[in-house]
Parts: sequence; C-alpha cells; structure tokens
Amino acid sequence: MDNRNRIVEAYTHHLREHGMPPHTVHAFCKSLGLSERDFFQEFASLDSVESAVWGEWIFGLAAKVSSGAEWKDFSARNRYLTFLFAFTESSLDWRSLMILRFSHLAPVASPPFLKAFEEHFKTFATGVIDHGLSTGEIASRGPLQALYPAVLYIHFRAVIAFLLKDESQRFERTDAFIEKTVAFAFDVIRTQAIDSAFDLARFLAPSAWGKMS
Amino acid sequence: MAALAGAGARVGMNYLKHYGRQAISGRADADDLQERNASEVFRTFSELKGGPLKLAQMLSIDQSLLPPAYAKQFARAQYSAPPLSYPLVVRTFRREFGKDPREVFDTFEPEAAHAASIGQVHRATRDGRTFAVKIQYPGVAESLRSDLGVVKPIALQILGLRERDVAAYFREVEARLLEETDYEKELASATRLSSACAHLLQIRFPKYHPEFSNHRVITMDWMDGVPFDVFADGPAPQDLRDRIGQALWDFYAHQIHQLHIFHADPHPGNFLVHGDQLCVLDFGCTKSINSDFHAKQFAFLDPALETDPARLAAAMESMAILLPTDTPSQREHLVALCRTSLELLARPFRNGEFDFGDPGFMSAIYELGEENRKNDTLRGMRGQRGSADTIYLNRTFFGLYSLLTRLRARVKTPLPPGLVFE
Repeated sequence: MDNRNRIVEAYTHHLREHGMPPHTVHAFCKSLGLSERDFFQEFASLDSVESAVWGEWIFGLAAKVSSGAEWKDFSARNRYLTFLFAFTESSLDWRSLMILRFSHLAPVASPPFLKAFEEHFKTFATGVIDHGLSTGEIASRGPLQALYPAVLYIHFRAVIAFLLKDESQRFERTDAFIEKTVAFAFDVIRTQAIDSAFDLARFLAPSAWGKMS
Repeated sequence: MAALAGAGARVGMNYLKHYGRQAISGRADADDLQERNASEVFRTFSELKGGPLKLAQMLSIDQSLLPPAYAKQFARAQYSAPPLSYPLVVRTFRREFGKDPREVFDTFEPEAAHAASIGQVHRATRDGRTFAVKIQYPGVAESLRSDLGVVKPIALQILGLRERDVAAYFREVEARLLEETDYEKELASATRLSSACAHLLQIRFPKYHPEFSNHRVITMDWMDGVPFDVFADGPAPQDLRDRIGQALWDFYAHQIHQLHIFHADPHPGNFLVHGDQLCVLDFGCTKSINSDFHAKQFAFLDPALETDPARLAAAMESMAILLPTDTPSQREHLVALCRTSLELLARPFRNGEFDFGDPGFMSAIYELGEENRKNDTLRGMRGQRGSADTIYLNRTFFGLYSLLTRLRARVKTPLPPGLVFE
C-alpha cells in the first residue's frame, strides 16, 4: 500500500476509534512509522486528509455505479437514484462517522473537510445532468442550468440529514424519501414550472433582478 | 400529510360551494356534491399510495358503508398507483437478498407488470420458469400507522360516524392492514390455504417460492389468465359463468365453514380466469374466526328467525347487537332493521341455489346500506355493537356477492354442513 492510502486509512481508523482527528501531524506520523516529510509530500494538512477520506468515498461510489451493466440505458433520473441508493447502502459502513461529522452541520454549510466530497459529487451530478440534457429529459435553460449541480448537492445533503435522523427498520424511510423527492425534483425540472416561477419572480421583483444581473 | 390537508381543504370548499348554491337556489344536488368530494378524496388517496391507498380499497369494497358516489371513485384506486422506480427495486433486492434482481433471476423486467396495493409485481424468469415477483414499497409498514391516524378523522367525518362507537372497527381494520405489510405471514397463509384448498378442482393457486421471498418480496409462479373483471364483462357463455361462479362460492364456503380462516379480500384484482379455472392471486388479507363466533354468526341463517322476533332478538343479544341498556323502542327498531337486512342478505341461501344475474339484488343491498347510513335513529344509538370479527366476514360476503353479480352467475348455495334448522 502506498503512503497516501496508508495515511487515509490510518486517519479514518483514528477518527472512528477516538471520535476526533489526531492532534498533530507529528504524533500521527509516529504512530504510522512515517516521517513528516513522507506525510507532507502527500497532504498539506490533517484537514486535507479528512477531505480526501470523504471525497474518495463519493468518487468510488460514482465510479462503481457508472460502471454497472445497466448504466448506459438509464435515464438521468435513474442514474441519480442509483447513485443515492448505492450511497445509502454503503452508508451502513459509515454511519458512526457520519453522525460524528454531519449531525451538527446545517445542510447548506460547506466546511473544509467536505471540499473534495462536494467537488466529486458535483462532477458526478454534472455528468447526470449532461446526460439528461442530451436526451431531452431535462429542459435546457441557459445560464440557469449551471445551478442544477448545486441544487442536487443541497438535495444530497438533505438526504444525508434525513438518513441520520431515520429510525425506521433498515432505514427504509430514507429510501422512500429519496424516491419521492427525486420524482418531485425531476418532475419540476422537466416541466415548465421553473420557468414560470422564474418569470413570476422576475415580474414581481424587477429591482432585485436588476441587482442580480 | 400536506396532500391530505389539501384534500380536506378541497372537500371543505366543495361543501361551501354546495351550501352557497343551496342558499341561492333553495336546493342543491346532494349526489353531485358527493361525486365531487369523492373525486377529491380519491385523488389524494391515490397520490399518497401505501397505507391510504389500502384504506381506500378497504372502503371501496365495504360499499355498504359508503354512498355510491364514493364507492365508484374508490373502486378505481387499485389501478392507479404510480410505480416504483427500477433503482428502488434494485435497492430493495440488495437490501433483502444482498444481490441485484438480475443476479437472483436470469431475466427481470425493469417495468412493473402491474401494481399491487402496497407494492408492485415484476415478471422474472429463472431456469425456464416464469415468476411473478411482488415487491413492497419501502417504508409502507412504518408509515401506515401514522397515515391511518391522519386518514381516520377524515374518514369519520365523511362517513358521519362517532369515533368511540367504531373504535373496535378501526382497530380491526388497522390490524388487518398492518398484517398485509407482513409478507412473511402472507407467504405462510398462502401456502397453508392453497394446500388446504388443493382438492377444489376449479381453483388454482400459484406455487410460492420461499427461497426467493422474504419480508419485502414474495415470489410465486407467473399465472396466465384473463383478469376477473375483463372476463365478467366480456362475452363468456352462461354455463362458463356458472362454473366460475360455483368455483368461487365453493372456495369461500370451504374456507369459512371448514377451515375457519379465509381470504378476506374478494375484489376483482385478486382473481384471474384461465379456461374454466379460477386463479387466486393474493393472500395478503386473511381473517380467522373461532368456531364459537362461526356458530353464533351462521345461526342467523335459520329461516325461523325471520318470522319469530323473540328468537331473532335472542340471536342478536348473543352477538351484542342488542345491548341490555337499549330502550324497548330501540330494541324494536333494531330487531325490525335486522329482519330486513337478514331477509336480503340471507336470500341466496334460501332455495339451495341463487341467480346472481338479477342486478336488483345488489342494488337492494346498496339501498339498504344507504338507508342505514341516513337512518338517524340508528346513528343516534350509542355504544359499540356487534363483534369486530363481523367486519371482515361481512366484507367477504359483500365482495363475494359483488363478484358473483358481476359474473351474472347461477350457483348452488347449500347451507353450511352441520347447520340444521328445525
């Protein structure tokens, strides 16, 4: 195993065991039998290790679902659902860490340790949306559609918030939550509802619109 | 929840419009109002799926409780639930089997073949066999209780009932509905009832496959056939109608009188007709009764009760339909009412055979239900009456009579063996 993977794995292990990150790079390296030079060749800080921990989870999930046999035939909606269900399935291994990190986090907060997590998710979401745009499943809306990955990210964080509060057997209610919210979201982006809402908002608040543009 | 509140508001609006029109014109069309309210309530129930959809179905079959306009709307419920997405089906499989559906089966169709009340059915094959795989909506069991809590006051309001008088009724319905989410129990009931009815030659059951079943998935053999309502409304000859009708009657007679446990969900969606055989598809709702209740209940079939009010009153006391606290005039009223119902509901048993081709029979039952519903003396009476066990038994007979009427079948209707009246 290379140093990078060793560091990521040992950091995750430490976080699980102690419920907090290692205090210093020095102590962390000592327990791993690595020099600080080895560490800093891979990571700039302990925070960036944690960012890699969460980011690699999402990156791995996205790679796994998009290599599935049926992926090619899936609509954008089914691709996004497949990702989310793979996420909830995988989250069983991560639940205690997620409770540690996410349960006190507002769904819109974007702390440094989630930087890679957010980036990898948005890269994946952009791919899903591009697929939807190319098949006509998602209507093209010019500059507005640049917001779609951000909207999906907020939805994703809402799913996590729901999952962490879910007390149902095998977290079945989270599955239902995902199914229903994604159906709703894709119904909205498929229809003219967004355009009409936007048009109405523009009509009602011309001054606000002026400031935005 | 928001959807339900919306329905409440729309029903309220319809009432306002109704009374507004009444105030202007001095009269309004009550049927018209019911029709519009029914479609609002129905729309909401079908949007919600799961528990409320089930309740809608339950109400739709117990049409004696419902004005015809509601019944018509509710009866559509079983055909119009939106499907689960394929990724959710895969997710359910991975959760329950640890594998994708296409690892469990050789082929698995991503689109549902048809909807079931709290799930949907997919067609799959393996080793040359075709299966029907029924998958439950996730979270239904969890949300059912809370949904029922929300639906209950609306239902009570619509039906004009008092909660404490029908508490036992709701408890029984709730218990049966919760049971319907238990696929392991359904598999056990299906296996037991289908082997206990195996000697009935014109009834067929799919073979169930416990190795591909668990508490959210039930796998059975795929059954070919014509949906019951398509058959009944089609051009089938009279002798075939009679034979299918007889098979249906014998199936229920055997379960109720011999086994004392029965399939309590006789609606057209649960049956297929294949040649001259009837296939039974769904054992989600079964009801068991004890022999004491069975004896008391079917003692009402004694023809002498129709002419002897004292014996009828005694039978009614045995079932707690008459309470010791009733005044003499209340007793008289209830006994008279019971005699009218009995004359109608026991009619198929009277001559050893019955022609359900007469549409007047079913509409008389509807009318009786409607009269009882509007009967102020009856609604003014306090207290819980009767046994909660009668709910599903009545529902079963009501469903059976409806199916036979739809078939326009003539069937032989011997009294249950062991019941001899002098």
